[in-house]
Amino acid sequence: MENSALGQYAILLGLTLGTVGFVLCLYAVARAIARTRAEPGKDVPATAGSLARDPVWVRYHARYYGYALLFLSFDMEMAFMYPWSVVYRKEGLVALLDMGVFLAILFLGLLYGWSQGALRRQ
Amino acid sequence: MMHGARTGMRTGLRRLIAGAMARDLCAFVVPGSDVARARGLDLARAGLHLAATPRHANVLLVVGTLPPDLRDAATVAYAQMPRPRAILALGADTLAPLPAADATGPLTQVGLVAALADLRRVVANGAFAAKVTDFDAPALQTRIEYTCPMHPEVISDEPGNCPICGMTLMPKEASASSPAAHQPKQSAPAHQPPAVAHAAHGHSTHTAAETPAQYTCPMHLEVISDEPGNCPKCGMFLVPVDAKPVGHSGHDHHDHHDHHDHSKHVATETPTQYTCPMHPEVISDEPGSCPKCGMFLVPVEAKPEDHSGHDHDGHAGHEGHAGHSGGPAIDGIEPHFMSMVNLTRDMPASADGLKMEWIEVPFGPFFPGLPGGLGLTLTLDGDAIAETRVQSLVGGSIAADGLTPAEFVERFADQSPLCRVANRQLACLALENAASVAPDARTATARAAAVERERIASHLGWLASFAAQTGLVWMERRAAAKQLSIQAAPVDQIAANAASLRAFLHRVRKTPLLRAKLAGNGRIGEGKPVVGPVARAQGVQSDARAGDWVYDALGFQVVTGTGGDALARLHQRCDEINQSLELIARAKELSVPEPQNIGTVTGQGQATVETPRGAAHLVVELLGGKLVTATYRPPSAAHIDLLADLIQAQEIADALVAVGSLDLSPWGLPA
Amino acid sequence: MSIAILLLTLTLGAYFIAVIEGWAVHGRFSLTRPALSAVALFGRESLLARTPDRLFFEAAPVLLLVAGLLAVAVIPLAPGLIIADLATGALFLNAALAYVLVALIMAGWGPNGGYAMIGGWRFLGQFIAYAMLIVMPITAVAMRAESLSTTMIVTSQADLWNVFYQPLGFVLFVLAAMGLAWLPPLDLPNAPGDLAGGVEAEYTGVRLAVLRLARMVIILALAGAIVTFYLGGWLGPWLPGWAWSVIKMLVVTTVMLTTGRLVPRVREADLLAAGWKLGIPLALANIFLVGVIALVVDI
Repeated sequence: MENSALGQYAILLGLTLGTVGFVLCLYAVARAIARTRAEPGKDVPATAGSLARDPVWVRYHARYYGYALLFLSFDMEMAFMYPWSVVYRKEGLVALLDMGVFLAILFLGLLYGWSQGALRRQ
Repeated sequence: MMHGARTGMRTGLRRLIAGAMARDLCAFVVPGSDVARARGLDLARAGLHLAATPRHANVLLVVGTLPPDLRDAATVAYAQMPRPRAILALGADTLAPLPAADATGPLTQVGLVAALADLRRVVANGAFAAKVTDFDAPALQTRIEYTCPMHPEVISDEPGNCPICGMTLMPKEASASSPAAHQPKQSAPAHQPPAVAHAAHGHSTHTAAETPAQYTCPMHLEVISDEPGNCPKCGMFLVPVDAKPVGHSGHDHHDHHDHHDHSKHVATETPTQYTCPMHPEVISDEPGSCPKCGMFLVPVEAKPEDHSGHDHDGHAGHEGHAGHSGGPAIDGIEPHFMSMVNLTRDMPASADGLKMEWIEVPFGPFFPGLPGGLGLTLTLDGDAIAETRVQSLVGGSIAADGLTPAEFVERFADQSPLCRVANRQLACLALENAASVAPDARTATARAAAVERERIASHLGWLASFAAQTGLVWMERRAAAKQLSIQAAPVDQIAANAASLRAFLHRVRKTPLLRAKLAGNGRIGEGKPVVGPVARAQGVQSDARAGDWVYDALGFQVVTGTGGDALARLHQRCDEINQSLELIARAKELSVPEPQNIGTVTGQGQATVETPRGAAHLVVELLGGKLVTATYRPPSAAHIDLLADLIQAQEIADALVAVGSLDLSPWGLPA
Repeated sequence: MSIAILLLTLTLGAYFIAVIEGWAVHGRFSLTRPALSAVALFGRESLLARTPDRLFFEAAPVLLLVAGLLAVAVIPLAPGLIIADLATGALFLNAALAYVLVALIMAGWGPNGGYAMIGGWRFLGQFIAYAMLIVMPITAVAMRAESLSTTMIVTSQADLWNVFYQPLGFVLFVLAAMGLAWLPPLDLPNAPGDLAGGVEAEYTGVRLAVLRLARMVIILALAGAIVTFYLGGWLGPWLPGWAWSVIKMLVVTTVMLTTGRLVPRVREADLLAAGWKLGIPLALANIFLVGVIALVVDI
């Protein structure tokens, strides 16, 4: 087994490219079996027996944007927590307190958002 | 010869694949698995998997004869199935737009199993064929309609001008046979701009050039051309760009500080002149049409300030766009900049105040979990319902003129496959009422027991549909199996299975998180005309069986619930199943209603029967022993009208559960 | 060489997951049905919608498969039996599985169809609900192991499995994993009853085969992650390590595939509310608890 990180990432890159190649081979096999026929009505997205030809690429009214904004802040926090968790035991109580303060502030932000009605279907 | 085969020689690998396909049949049921179950077909036991969408199916299973509208919808579903595809028709007289069935059989379980074996042979041999023809049908054709880009509710079959604003109509694709294409949407006019014409509304990206010899489109400011012509995006005539050497780059418009008030920005001072809202350089002394875009000219209003000789071409070009006004100019922001607030000014707002675009998505007639044949079209605002349009594709009344009573009973029962016994009872009672003949107590009790047995089967079928909607596969399997076993069972078998049925219902009610899914969903307000279990779940004591001497003799009491939401309706139907089991046990005898000999009678008769979905009413007129007219009021007629209000602004999953909880039967409704 | 063994094990594992899912859905245990379905899918037409976003539509199944395989690549079946023993394995797992979201939104947007698009955006809402509940339990596990390497995380459980040490994190991680793999009751993007197939509906033929394979691989990766992080990986008496890994992964997969179907599909509003009002505070409490215990006790 490769021990260097670069070697490992090279293996993963090879895995990725191999997967893409594998999928392309599958597509080639399927194409060799028979070709797709274009017929009227077949290429309209299936909607339970009616034909709906209008495009649906519109501005979608997502209702969870309150959650999404809070998610951004928590995601940024998690980026800090990864390295922190690795050195946590070595650093001891100081680490707990430092991150505890950080998490507490974020948690207060969550509570504030909750109280203002961000955590609901808009 | 399979019509739905793929092109290829049947050798080697293809033979293997065809064999695999024959053993892995996946069916899309038309009109729906609820109808298949009501007809006594046990698809799971026959080894057929069901698909939620025609894309994942390779067999179109047609159950019974379909009305013409439904056949068109089935044609669409068949056309959307990937090849190789087959049709299995059970008990269907004609399939007209669809090609001939690859396997047929009678509408029984035995017929299904035999036809399925035939079908497997056909698929294994015919999945790949040398010569294949395309499948075409009128329902799949498109035609070009003409619509106004600013007023999408204006639709015409020929090119012309919009009657509201005068603009030249643009071509748009639509279904050749869609009747709904000409119904205007009920919302505000400009809420749904065609994606083509407005997709690139570059209100903040326009890069108008500095030289006067360039032309731009009033609606697409990023389109710049060196010579006059037509905008490639919407077809409007290009107008010269403002010749002023100002910093149009980005939003730097400090030089335009004298453009303060654009809202009435016109190029003339006398009030009796007319101009085009989109082309202010067009000035005329009398009303008419703009020579450039066809819009009606509007009178000009004089403005005392801001007339230092500006060339306004292209600047006020957005005045008069419903929903596209440029709005007042603001220092530092270029005048063509249209904020989202202005762009969406006339669009209807959602509950949270945002104005997003709506899409129209059909949810019928073959949607899994919903009653088959119900044509539901929802306009969605994100994933919430904005508008509803519902139509029954299996409606219409039967022509009763000249039928004998026996024929009429059969036809009337077949009209609604979901409640055939109740309809038979209804027809028999109406005919007997016309002849002033009453059946004896024993026959009446046996008939009532048959109606109750069907009520159990119908509610179990509803439970299976509900489970299909919410993903509870175990409940769907068990409810379907129990429905099929009880549908044609004699009294002693019903009694033997009663205990396990009650245990099943107990387990259904105890499903974890059921309350979270259903509580508060689908509440109908007080005072609305509801019938059947929907009404009783609200606490309304409405049951056609109360006061009927047959049921009184069996000790019938009206069962009601509280809450009136989807959870209450589920409990109500479970309670009614339990009650029907008791009624059958007390009746001890069961026989399907058969028409008695009423002789040659002339007159009118009527009857009301509590079908599983509510009270149904039938009025018949007889002349010399033969039918003249029959007027049928099905129970779901009242509920269909309540649908739009019921699911307004609900999330799509909740809305579909609410629609399902009403247990609509589109059969026999006015089309 | 070991990579080949691992990929073979992966294929067999994915096949067994398909068998188990077929049993959960249809009530019948059939060992050959997934193979028949796969072969049949090759023979079916692979359709393309009329005005698709071709790049998104084609890329989504491939991206899903790549994400799943990259996630599987850091799961250890036995000491040394791992495709890539990264020092940041747990983080890499999370990063690879984040592409599931990208792939599903691409699958939703691509075919330009109503059901698919709604399914895709619903999955984004689901992602916002479960994403933190994947990461925070991993953090707590890494705190105990003092490392993000999956092998180190398993060896750190030699005395006590994390499922007993951090049961709260275990429960949250399993639920979030079911959301990530869009298993019922959290199958909002492809809800058969709500959206008639949703994001999966427009895929047919060989593309559908790749999509289903990718989903099996993702479920396998998540089962492997649960086993690695909480159930002690290859640790166990008598049997060799890889056998324990495989057995545990199969048990976890069966539980995930079957217990979820006993409950109706969760409403999106309920899912988001539960994830953020209940899940995040519990996950933070879990981190705090583990932090205190890890400082005090030495296992």
